[in-house]
Amino acid sequence: MGLVGMYFRRTMGILRKEVLVLPSRVAVLVFIVALMALPIFTQDYYFLRVMILTSIFAIFAASWDLLSGFTGQMNFGHALFFGVASYATALLNLKLGLPPYFSIPLGAVGGVLAGLVVGIPCLRLKGSYLALTTLAFPIILTGIVFAIPDITGGELGLSGLSRLTGSRVLDYYLASGLMLLLGFAMWKITDSKTGIILHAIREDELAVRTAGINTTRYKLLAFCLSGFFAGVAGGLYAHFMRLAGPSGLEVGLSFQVIIWAVFGGMVTIYGPIAGVFILYPLMEVLRVVLDQFPSLPEIRMFIFAGLVLLTLLFMPEGLIPWVRDKIEVECPRCKVRNVLGRQRCRVCDAELD
Amino acid sequence: MMQFLGKVGAVLLGLALVLAVCLPVGAVEPIKIGVLGPMSFTQGEGHWNGASMAADEINKAGGIKVGAQARPIELVKVDTNEFLSVPDATNAIEMAISRYNVDFLVGGFRTEAVMVMQDIAMDAKKIFIGCGAAHPELCTKVTKDYDRYKYWFRLTPINSKFLGKVDFILLGTVGAIMKKTLGIEKIKVAIVAEKAAWADPIVGIAQKLLPAKMGMEVVGVWRPSPVAKDCTAELAAIQRAGAHIVFTTFSSSVGLTFAKQMGELKVPAVAVGINVESQKSGFWEATGGNGNYAVTINTYARVEITPKTIPFYDKYVKLYKEAPNYTAGTYDALYILKEAVEKAGSVNSDKVLPFLEKTDYIDTAGRVVFDKSHDVTWGPEYVTSIGTQWQDGKIQCIWPYHWEKVFYKGTVPFKMPPWVVEYYKKKK
Repeated sequence: MGLVGMYFRRTMGILRKEVLVLPSRVAVLVFIVALMALPIFTQDYYFLRVMILTSIFAIFAASWDLLSGFTGQMNFGHALFFGVASYATALLNLKLGLPPYFSIPLGAVGGVLAGLVVGIPCLRLKGSYLALTTLAFPIILTGIVFAIPDITGGELGLSGLSRLTGSRVLDYYLASGLMLLLGFAMWKITDSKTGIILHAIREDELAVRTAGINTTRYKLLAFCLSGFFAGVAGGLYAHFMRLAGPSGLEVGLSFQVIIWAVFGGMVTIYGPIAGVFILYPLMEVLRVVLDQFPSLPEIRMFIFAGLVLLTLLFMPEGLIPWVRDKIEVECPRCKVRNVLGRQRCRVCDAELD
Repeated sequence: MMQFLGKVGAVLLGLALVLAVCLPVGAVEPIKIGVLGPMSFTQGEGHWNGASMAADEINKAGGIKVGAQARPIELVKVDTNEFLSVPDATNAIEMAISRYNVDFLVGGFRTEAVMVMQDIAMDAKKIFIGCGAAHPELCTKVTKDYDRYKYWFRLTPINSKFLGKVDFILLGTVGAIMKKTLGIEKIKVAIVAEKAAWADPIVGIAQKLLPAKMGMEVVGVWRPSPVAKDCTAELAAIQRAGAHIVFTTFSSSVGLTFAKQMGELKVPAVAVGINVESQKSGFWEATGGNGNYAVTINTYARVEITPKTIPFYDKYVKLYKEAPNYTAGTYDALYILKEAVEKAGSVNSDKVLPFLEKTDYIDTAGRVVFDKSHDVTWGPEYVTSIGTQWQDGKIQCIWPYHWEKVFYKGTVPFKMPPWVVEYYKKKK
């Protein structure tokens, strides 16, 4: 009992001193609690499907940020990792009969290998050259998929995969739980020493090399890590949809992930996650709203594009950094963030502007 | 006090009257049918237009009789956006099922998306009549796992295996006519297919089948981009190769470019095969008349496939200012559902299913009888599909023309392009 009490007091202490002091952290806490409590209030199949896909795409968008946002390796073909992993997962499940808890992590290893395959030839490329080269890879793979329909299912894809868990609510908890876990893991990676090096590579690779750091190794690491996380998303997607098909490699998906990440705010990990959680359900809200006006033409994509454009016009760094800057202020001395309105820094007591 | 009670009574009476006027007394619950399709694209429009036409007609005639009650049809427009996003398509069908509680589903187009939507419909045990995707696998599933996939049926188009068969029958028919009328000994064929995965098997089969089974010579294979804006290089090469027939496989805009330039250059050959662009009403204007004599597989033309075809065709053109494409087969899907529901006296999928399986219905495209895989039966006396040719500004049905004793009133003979006849007469 005493042990439980001690942990409770410690948790409350962390909550009081680390979480409740910043609005952004309170927002994250509320988000996690709401996400976990959602099935208590509704178990609507449609709503849970949308939320499951949102969680899967949130992992995918954050994985893009890990590579392109933090390291600056602008990847325009991120669907490759997603697609390779979904096909690998599907093949492992259908041909070897592996259940999802084996096929998804092993499929994600396929994403890592894809990261190596793309990363190695792209190490010397930068900017638009790198972007165009990465864009080519999923297109090449689509060609291969159509060339060997006996293995890949051609334009039909591979269908009939095992269900994730067999229950929509459990699927939801698995997808959202993994999203929170992997999102936190990605955030911790970028917050570590490795993350600082990835930051530095983006800012000035030459300077990093001059400091004696093997940037090649770190860039490859970023490709592989990003491939792994995108691969988990691809595997989850394949088992949830029960299909791995060419649409998972489409250029549109690669661009979609960039839109989500840039909209939410790059170089944050949580920005792309928030971007997906706002934009993906928004499309469904638009579907519901526009269904009330059947005479209106199908303008969902138009409204979506307009909204994204307007947001980026007024919030060039993305929505979440913009909101955060409106409610928090950074201490000029110790760089710790404080809630807007504080006179002195909560850590070093320096005067805030 | 009495005055107060009188006022309250008056208010209550007023409310009761308002409610009595506003609320439909004994309102009949409509039968909800979800129409699935990419609604921003022509295929989705076809789905919606066909279904709307049928729903209007059925409702005007009193609705669908379920037992003693006549229930109207309420269509639910389900924009699947499946060309751009497969997940979007799955969300759309899930919403139609769980939110709008549709009783039946019709439509679908992109095979990959239909595969997933099919699974969602089967999970919910909802009857889904496919009116867009042609891949045989969608129906093979019914025979492989009947208990799960029994609620799936395909009405239009005929499956890709039979599309291929009609494709080669058309080629053989035109080849025989050319042989006879122009005195050509051996027909030379140029295979021209857009560079797309779906066209690959047709090219492969044509390369083997034409020399081995049809006694024709393949002079070459050309694979232009699906969006090519210039095909003159291919056409010049085809002319040099001495092809009598150009066997086309086009679903995209290249079909328009190719037909236009072939007419402009007066290439002495006949284009036969699949050209989706030439199925559209605007083809003549888009090619400036140069697409004259192009032959393609089709589903509808103003020809009496059944007594219902011409009235349907004319009404569709009048309402929507264009000829119906094959996704407008949702029109027939609704009538077939009506018949099965009325016989079953229920909208419950399990009760409707046996009657749907026993369907023997004359629709606008032929006689519909579902086979064991719940696919529409193809062949003489059933659905055949048709071959059409542009003849001086009009799209005319040219096949079946006494094929296997099948002849549809209004079908006209195939017309040889005059410059082809002239070229071969001069050559002699």
